This record gives sequence, C-alpha cells and structure tokens, in this order.
Amino acid sequence: MKLELKDVRYVYAPGTPFEVEALRGVSLVVEPDEVLGIIGGTGSGKSTLAQHMNLLLTPAGGEVLVDGVDAISLEKSELRRRVGLVFQFPESALFAPTVEEDVAFAPRQLGLDEEEVKERVRESLRALGAEELAARSPFALSGGEKRRAAIAGVLAMKPEVLVLDEPTAGLDPATRQDLLALILGLREAGVSVVLVSHDLDEVAEVTDRVCILEEGRVRAVGTPAEVFYQDPTQAPATVRVTSLLKEAKPEIGDPVRFGETLDALRALQEV
Amino acid sequence: MTSRSLGQFYPVASPVHALDPRVKILATAVFVVGLFLIDSTVGLLFVAAALMALVAVSRIPAGTFLRLLRPVLFIVALTVLFQVLFSREGATLLEWGFFEVHSGGLRQGFFLALRILLLVSSAGLLTATTAPVALADGLEDLLAPLKRVRFPAHEVAMMMTIALRFIPTLGEEADKITKAQAARGADFSEGGPLRRARTLVPVLVPLTVGAFRRADELADAMESRGYRGGEGRTRYRELRFRKGDALALAVTVLVLLVGVLL
Amino acid sequence: MENAGDGTHPGGSFAVSCERISFSYPGSERPALSDISLHVRPGEYVGVAGPNGGGKSTLVRLLNGLLRPDSGGVRVSGRDPATEPFEVRKHLGVLFQNPENGLVAPFVEDDIAFGLENLGVPREEMRDRVAGAVRAVGLEGYERREPSTLSGGEKQRVALAGLLAVDPEILVLDEPTSMLDAAGRREVLEYLGALPAEKTILHVTHHLEELLDADRILLLNDGDLVADETPERFFSDADLLRENRLVLPVVPRLALELGLAPAKLRTPEELAEAILAKTESGTRAG
Repeated sequence: MKLELKDVRYVYAPGTPFEVEALRGVSLVVEPDEVLGIIGGTGSGKSTLAQHMNLLLTPAGGEVLVDGVDAISLEKSELRRRVGLVFQFPESALFAPTVEEDVAFAPRQLGLDEEEVKERVRESLRALGAEELAARSPFALSGGEKRRAAIAGVLAMKPEVLVLDEPTAGLDPATRQDLLALILGLREAGVSVVLVSHDLDEVAEVTDRVCILEEGRVRAVGTPAEVFYQDPTQAPATVRVTSLLKEAKPEIGDPVRFGETLDALRALQEV
Repeated sequence: MTSRSLGQFYPVASPVHALDPRVKILATAVFVVGLFLIDSTVGLLFVAAALMALVAVSRIPAGTFLRLLRPVLFIVALTVLFQVLFSREGATLLEWGFFEVHSGGLRQGFFLALRILLLVSSAGLLTATTAPVALADGLEDLLAPLKRVRFPAHEVAMMMTIALRFIPTLGEEADKITKAQAARGADFSEGGPLRRARTLVPVLVPLTVGAFRRADELADAMESRGYRGGEGRTRYRELRFRKGDALALAVTVLVLLVGVLL
Repeated sequence: MENAGDGTHPGGSFAVSCERISFSYPGSERPALSDISLHVRPGEYVGVAGPNGGGKSTLVRLLNGLLRPDSGGVRVSGRDPATEPFEVRKHLGVLFQNPENGLVAPFVEDDIAFGLENLGVPREEMRDRVAGAVRAVGLEGYERREPSTLSGGEKQRVALAGLLAVDPEILVLDEPTSMLDAAGRREVLEYLGALPAEKTILHVTHHLEELLDADRILLLNDGDLVADETPERFFSDADLLRENRLVLPVVPRLALELGLAPAKLRTPEELAEAILAKTESGTRAG
C-alpha cells in the first residue's frame, strides 16, 4: 500500500501553557516494498509522526492517506491491522502468561479462528527467531528476547506497513544486527518498513530512502546517498569517512553501506 | 513531552504559599475539628467568609478553586435534597403529594451543605498552596514524635516522596501501554462494564509488573547510595518556623472560636 | 606477583579484588559467574565488555553488596561488600543503566543530595557539595526541575552528580549510555570523560568505542572471564570479537578490515587521514 502524509500538523496540549507544536506540516510518502528511515534528534517529532501512521494520534491539520483514501474514514481496527506500530521499548506492554498467548492477542482481536491464530503465532515467532520462547512467560525473558516477543506480537497482524520506533534501543550490537537483518527480510517479504531511529549507522545499513526530521519539519528526503552526502557532518560514519576523501580521491563515489564503503576504500588502496 | 506535578498544587507566590507546611497541616486539622464544633449557620457563614478571604490572599484564581469543589457537588446536592425532602421541622412551605418541604429542612440542608463545602475547601486550599514535597516534609515532621511508639514516620514520608516522584512517570507509562495495545487492536470504548474491565487487563498487568520492576530497581539504586532507613539520616530540605506561621495558627484558632460562639 | 588473597598485593592494595567468585541466580541452571578472579589497582580505568547475560551486571552487584557470591571473596578498598555494604558504598558508587529508576526525589537537587543525606552529612556541607556536583555535570539552573521533565541524558547526569557529591574513589558504570539516544550518549560520555584521573573506574558497556581510553578491557562471556587485554590488542583480535558476539563500531571496523590500527583511529577524520597517508605512501613506493 501507499501511505501518505500530507502537510500533517500536530499540537500537544493545545490551549494550555504547555502547548507544543510537534509537527509543523510534514509531507511524506511510504512507498510499497521499501524501508524508509526517519531520523531526527529528540524533539524532532519522529515518534509523534510514527503515531500518525496508524492514527493513534489524529492530525490537527493536514491528512493521512492510505492508497489515496483518508485514513480517518477507514475502520480503525482495519487501519491498525494494515499499519502495524511497534513503540520504543515495546516489551513494557507484554502482558500474557505465555509468549504465544501474548502474540495471539492481535490476531484474536481481528476475529480470526483459532487455527489461523495459532498459525500466525508460529509464523511470527519463527520470523523473529523466537520459536523456543513460545511457552515461556514473557516476564522471565531477557531484554533481547522480550523485544523479539513484542515485535512478533505486532507482526502477527500481517501488516502491510510496519512502523518501528527505535527498535534497537538498549540492545547489544549482536542482537541489533539480528533485528536489522529481520527488517531486510520483511522488505523481501513485501512488507514496507518505516524505521524511526536516531542511529545513523543502522539507518545507513537497511534503508532505501531516508527522511530527516527537524523541529517538526522535513529537512531532507531522498536516497541515503542523496540525503547524507548533502550534509556529511551529520551523516553515518561511512559517509563521513568517504566525504573527507572525496577531494583527494573523487573516484571513491557515494557509498553508504558498510560493505560498499569497505570495497571503495580497498579499491583506493589497491591503486 | 512535559508533565505537571500532582494536579492540585497551584504554583504562585503568596503569603499562604510561603507558610510552613506543618502550620498549614495543623491549621487544616484544627479547622476541620472546629467545623464540627460550630452548630450555628451564622457561625459557619463567618468562617466561610474568613476562608474566602484566605483564598483571595493565596492568589488562587476563583475559577480554579471552584473547580476543586466540583467532585463534591453531587454529594452536596444529595445531602440538601435529603434534608429538604425528609425534614419535618419548622413551617411548611410546600406540599406536593407525599413530600413536604419545611423551612427547617431548608435551613438544615443549607447548613450541612455549607459544612461539606468548607471541609473540602480547606483541604483544597492546603493542597493548592503547598507543594507535594513540602506536604511530605511537613507530615514527616509532625508524625516524628510518633516514632517513639514505633510509628514509621520517616518511611511514610519517604513513600510519599517516591510516590510523588513517580506519578508523572507512571502516568506516561500507562498512556504508552494503552496506545501500544490499541495499536494491536484493543478497543477500550466498546462493550458493557464487564467487557471493558476485561480489555483493561492488557494495560493493568504490564503496568503493575512494570511498577514492581521499577520498585526493585529503585530499591537497588537507593541501597547502592547508602540508604538504610531513617537512622542517622540528615535532611537537605529545611523547614523553618517563622513569626508569620505562629500568627497564622493563632488567627485560625481565633476565627474558629468566634464561629463557635456565634 | 603473588596475590595475598586479602585484597593486598606487594605493590600496594588493590581498589577492587575478586578471588574465584561464583554466583548463580536462584532457580537458574547455569551460573551467572564461574570462578572469576580479577584485580583492579587504584586509579585504573578498566572496561568490562561482553554479550548481554554474560555476567557483567552480576559482577557490578557483587561489588557493591547488592548480591553475595556463592563462593569466593570480594574486596573493595579492603572491605567485604557482603558484610560491610554501608562502608563499601562510601568508597564505591554505581551509575546504573536505567536513567529513570535511579532518581528517587521529586527535584533534581534533592536527588543529588540523597546520598549525602544517607551518610548523615550536615546540611551546610550538603549545600556546598550539591552545588559543586551540579556544576561538575553542567546542570546549573536545573536544581528545581522535576525528573520526569528531563531528557535521558540529563537524567543520567543527575545520577552522576549524585555520585560525585558523595565522591567515592571507585566508580562503577553499568552500561550508563545503553538506554540513551545519540545526543544523550554524547552528553554523558563528555562528563564521564572529565572524571578526575585518580578515580578508579570500572566501565561496563557493549559500546566498545567507549573503552578506547581504558587501561585494559575485561571480556565476560557466559560467566567466564575470557580475556583481559589492552584496547589495542582487543580491537585487533577479529576472532575474539566474533567468538564473543562483539561488534566494533563502524570506524574501528573499517580500520581493522583495511589493515590499519583500529584502537588508534576513533573518528572518521582520523581514519580518513590514515587512509590518505597509506595511499600516498603506496603510490610513492609504487
């Protein structure tokens, strides 16, 4: 599906002394089959934006369109099935006695029959590499295991777009890499992924397009190479290294991912 | 996202705000006792006037203060209604089938309603003019003598302080969990009371478990910083009893005395 | 050098000494720590790395007496944390991972004073020490702020100030930045970097780039002490890193792959310079 945000505005606590304009006219498209990165610092509005994608928050101005249709006119449960949202530190919402019960929550809310629910639970846990956790209590798991259980719970809805808000926060680097591999796998399987992150290096590795948010506005959007080489001082480490070498060695090109950057740098040394 | 401290405190500079919290707590306690000793409507009205003057001095906007009274309006209305409908004292003013309205009923209803309103107002004034932290400190000091009879005054105050510190945090957490479950299709608005109670399980369970986990981590952190109960502890915050405080206490007692006598 | 087993060694006493400690959490099949021995000299900056669940946090809690080892001995400044926790905690302070759950008081300055209150420090002295700690973490003006209004980085700085107010000689940092965003991490690392050199520091983290200034790095995996190396050797050992599921950050990883010294090149600028230098010398020689 094509998810579009048109000039979305959002204000927290309007009319009170604590009024904050979090989004000031954001226009953005999530294309089918892509991984879109949304980066920005604290206060940029990334999480607020993420919550508009499944209308957990409704815009004060502008609109959210799903395949051209105003999302507000859609049945809420339908929208939330098609656009899945995983919050930051999602494990705080685990509640059932076993992991499989917890993952089954969303499919059951959709009204699927038990056979289908069981199948979905199995599939989701497998996708997250968490099958052995099925019968365990979510409260007895390690941080990384809980994270996987929580994401499986949203994946079980089989969303067309999966929005992940800082999915690797607090994880060790190895588990982080596993999650990034999962994101790429999801894209292969036809799910669009919106990756909200403050970590430029991880965004560099898995995204097809990147959007930089600053103080509630879109500062730049495009391919990682386009966006990051535009302002190399606020770019992933790979881009920062290569942009410093561009003057002396223009043949280096515009690599962004680790692999391609390494190849480009090696090529330099071989000359 | 910003978050406010515990609802009712209205942060503004006023002589009432500046009073020692211990005095305010004591004054409120004396006030409440005094209210029940006053048996004439005139007495109550006098005290009510004094309280309104105090609210004005405390710089709390009338609108804000009246909002504090909103939760009790229902009870007040019920009390008045009860008195009006069932009292047979005094001259008959109205007759309507089985029900009779007597002047005594009206008077009594008014009296009781006024008392309830004054009770709530005094508590409301206390919390509106005293920061939650100051309240905890004041209580700790006032309860301290009870330590001699093994009452855990320090622990009670510490619990209050920690609760105050975490209320906004837990509020945000509840918000986040609710949204996360909504994102998984939970619907909190439909169904009868039993159905709705069940939909709260995916919010209450993780909130409670999370709260226990927080408590664990906090206890570890406190212990790691050398906490071992109230023994040998000094206090960073200071409560200083001043002339104005003694005056305030004296005035309160005086006003109540007059009220009783009236 | 023989270890006398009571926390001293011929060269002077150790700040922290663990002698063959083992610990298992109740109900767990595997030990969290197996037969670990380690010694930290006063003033040393020791990094502790390893995958999650490997024993790092358990070690921290054994050092400050929150946990008692099943076997073996721990000595902190010559004392046993299990039997004298209050004393030990005057000399060893811990900065925990979760910025939220370590702040106990409704206001910043009150929280910073918490440790001093516990020690029974007189009020006048507390005021000075709290003010000093606030300055040391750059939070002037934040004294009456409520913790729930602070960012993650600011919360950790408050926690750090609370430690600095008490001023223990030994600081244990238990993954202090892992729950923070990039800006928060930068903030906290800046102030951690400004800690006085004579402090003994144990820094537990899985962000290896934070340990570049360490004197040495301990690697804990699955309850075992797998390695004890200088950062240079640690970062250059690709096998060690892989076997223990450790991932170098981008710049040192590139350096390693390109045959350059990973521990010496921290920033993209340094790496770019080194690459240019190498290609220059390459073309000159060729």
